[in-house]
Amino acid sequence: MSEAFRIRIDGREVEARPGETVLAAAARAGIEVPTLCQDERLDPMGSCRMCLVEVEGQRRLQPACAWRVEPGQAVTTQSERVDRHRRLLLELYLADHTPPREPNAPESEVLALARRYGAERRLDPVEAPREGREDPNPYITFDPGQCILCARCVRYCDEVEGVNAITLAGRGARTTIATAAQIGLLESTCELCGGCIDTCPTGALREKKPASLPVVQETRAVRTTCNFCGVGCQLDLHVAGDRVVRVGSPPPGTTVNDGNLCVKGRFAYDFIHHPDRLQTPLVRGRDGALREASWEEALARAAEGLLAVKERHDADALGFISSSRCTVEENYLVQKLARAAFGTNNCHQCAAT
Amino acid sequence: MFGAGAMTNSIPEIRDADLLFVIGSNTTEAHPIIAMEMKRAVRRGAKLIVADPREIWLTRIADLHLQLRPGTDVWLLNAMAHVIVGEGLVDEAFISAHTEGFEAVAETVRDYPPEEAERVTGVPAAAIREAARLYATTRKAGIYYTLGITEHSHGTDNVYALANLVLMTGHLGVRSAGMNPLRGQNNVQGANDAGASPVFYPGYQPVEDEGVRRKFEEAWGVPLSAKNGLNLNAMMAALAAGRLKGLYVMGEDIVLSEPNAGKVEQGLNQCEFLVVQDIFMTETARFADVVLPAACFAEKDGVFTNSDRRVQRVRKAVPPPGQARADWEIICDLARAAGYPMPDYAGPAEVYAEMARLSPKFAGISHERIEAEGGLQWPCPTADHPGTPTLHEGGPLRGKAIFQPVNYRPSAELPDPEYPLLLSTGRTLYHYNAATQTRRDAGPVLRQPHNFVEMHRRDARRLGLEDGERVVVASRRGRIEAHVCVSPRVRPGCVWMPFHFAESPTNRLTNDAGDAVTGTGEYKVCAVRVEKLSGAPASAC
Repeated sequence: MSEAFRIRIDGREVEARPGETVLAAAARAGIEVPTLCQDERLDPMGSCRMCLVEVEGQRRLQPACAWRVEPGQAVTTQSERVDRHRRLLLELYLADHTPPREPNAPESEVLALARRYGAERRLDPVEAPREGREDPNPYITFDPGQCILCARCVRYCDEVEGVNAITLAGRGARTTIATAAQIGLLESTCELCGGCIDTCPTGALREKKPASLPVVQETRAVRTTCNFCGVGCQLDLHVAGDRVVRVGSPPPGTTVNDGNLCVKGRFAYDFIHHPDRLQTPLVRGRDGALREASWEEALARAAEGLLAVKERHDADALGFISSSRCTVEENYLVQKLARAAFGTNNCHQCAAT
Repeated sequence: MFGAGAMTNSIPEIRDADLLFVIGSNTTEAHPIIAMEMKRAVRRGAKLIVADPREIWLTRIADLHLQLRPGTDVWLLNAMAHVIVGEGLVDEAFISAHTEGFEAVAETVRDYPPEEAERVTGVPAAAIREAARLYATTRKAGIYYTLGITEHSHGTDNVYALANLVLMTGHLGVRSAGMNPLRGQNNVQGANDAGASPVFYPGYQPVEDEGVRRKFEEAWGVPLSAKNGLNLNAMMAALAAGRLKGLYVMGEDIVLSEPNAGKVEQGLNQCEFLVVQDIFMTETARFADVVLPAACFAEKDGVFTNSDRRVQRVRKAVPPPGQARADWEIICDLARAAGYPMPDYAGPAEVYAEMARLSPKFAGISHERIEAEGGLQWPCPTADHPGTPTLHEGGPLRGKAIFQPVNYRPSAELPDPEYPLLLSTGRTLYHYNAATQTRRDAGPVLRQPHNFVEMHRRDARRLGLEDGERVVVASRRGRIEAHVCVSPRVRPGCVWMPFHFAESPTNRLTNDAGDAVTGTGEYKVCAVRVEKLSGAPASAC
């Protein structure tokens, strides 16, 4: 790697690396530049113009997400000129952006920036609002009125997930996000990963599932590890009361999954609160049918039954099958149960390959 | 082989690789987020070699697709080694410094010329040569494999053949290279680590080692058996043979998941006593004498260890339903009910601490550290050790890595006139194993409502079958119904089925011939016949 050099950002000496962008150098120095179309997992596009900054020697403002630093360069990320530009830009976006439909929707990136820069809905709305029809898939919904066409979703679908299910469709004021052939997502190459929802800065792309639940003012997020395949994705379970109502990914760059999830990790959580869940211990009665029992009775029956086999035959007539779906601690305890409590090494997890 | 049974490298290293050799892994469906890292590497310019009998998604972006006949991996890999040795592409410095037994492998692979390999595997000799040269001459070249390698009666041979390639090219201890088994389930790695194994105590300490046994006897306060136990495949055989009489099963639906399900059911029918601990009334639980309702991952605390040896927290977000309890609490109470004084653990953190104290590999890991630092990758021997993202840097853990010459052995059951098609099985993106979880969610059900059998159009035409038609699939062990899915993804003569559907249990067909070392069943190769089901209505697959 060639050598680092120094540039000046907002009057501060900052270290920069050859070939990197102003945005990257600023971020490392703890200087935040506002962005909308930027996602660190995607190639820079420079389309939203939110990150425009003053670069010494450049007459026009330049996008920090795409401008490559040069030694000795001086950059200004905050000034009267830059702020005026950002406020006007956000007001233009607001003119083409309907407010969210639900009262409880979390504040989107675009609305948070509008608040920060004092941008108001004062420009006349765009005359021909974009139209969209509801897609019958069970997970993802799109409100074209809230979309600002930053194309993060389209680029995510292309560059990260690699399936190219959605694209920028139409021209001019009628441009929108759609599948290429105007087909439903379930008929398209979409794999329902939901990454488009996470990267969307406006709330135009949202999940359908929480919408069917009662209005919830406050949810709390619990960071945990996904229980499906062996990648170990980190998840945030969003909990309202005693129910998991949504699953989100931690931000990009913070965990092994880099902000990404798949259809199972993000959406297949209905099993948690499914009415088919076992809720009571069961023991087989004299009539041969399983009946409900207390924990005390069920545990006593289980222990007696296993001990009786050991007594009639020997410890190695018993087998213990542990689960690769359960925790490390639980697997430790099952092998301890087999070895220490029952005296056999006939203990194996279900997927030892 | 090198000294640790796990991915040698880390998932975040994949994006920086210059070559990915993916064999026996349908990564986009079975490990979608690892596949995203692979796609990212390919976008950056990395070469991708895919070896798989099916035209899986990754083949679309691959430089080479080696579409081998199922079960012929040893031929393919030995032929690659033949080219590497023959053309002098081996890493001699690495071989002499860090390995033993290279000569025996060089001698063995001499008998595997690419032209012969083409005849056996169906992969063109030129493609084998190209793959071998690319792999051997790229420094940051990683191998990624899954159950397509291990679920064979010669699965261990397949792994050895891969390891030989890694060692002869010095692709060990190098970032973005190595040999990387992708674990199929959230905590396969952790369950192995924790000693849920008939031959290892926690931390891969052998049951037959007297010193180890003394240590655990002292810690647990009871005498312990010195005899290796039965692996799962052997337990299923012993159950069917009437030698195993009592069974405790936690969190696995063995009726749907183990091969040759008919034999499993027969075993369960004659079992004297069965305890099942699970979150749903599974097919296996229907046989139980006692059913214990357990908490799911969102309802308890603990850790899972992922494919790259990363120990990460599982946190309780909601209470379990009804009277259901966390598995760790149930196991402790069951042990006490059986008269063993399990300590009164305040929680999983104390259980982990007990295991870490007894296992040098994890001695430096604790819940407290994970809370403070995030996931930790073992080996992590001390509390101030940062964990190990890349194994074998500066030489193999075990000192010298051992080459293992292997010769091709055919799969236990191959097609014949009576059962003329070769069946492989696997997972799909939308469902998970016995699908007790995913079939309770709308998306997977809409995408894949029922079981199907992927078949090449040539075979479909020969059998007079239409896409979507319901058929009977039969093997020597069982018969089930499924929908035909005519697909260019499979080779002529081969069919492929998932195993997610309780009403059409694919594992009634599969062969329980186990690998000699691991006992893993031969899910990837058995002989079947597909029969027309007269009068049945067709529907899209």
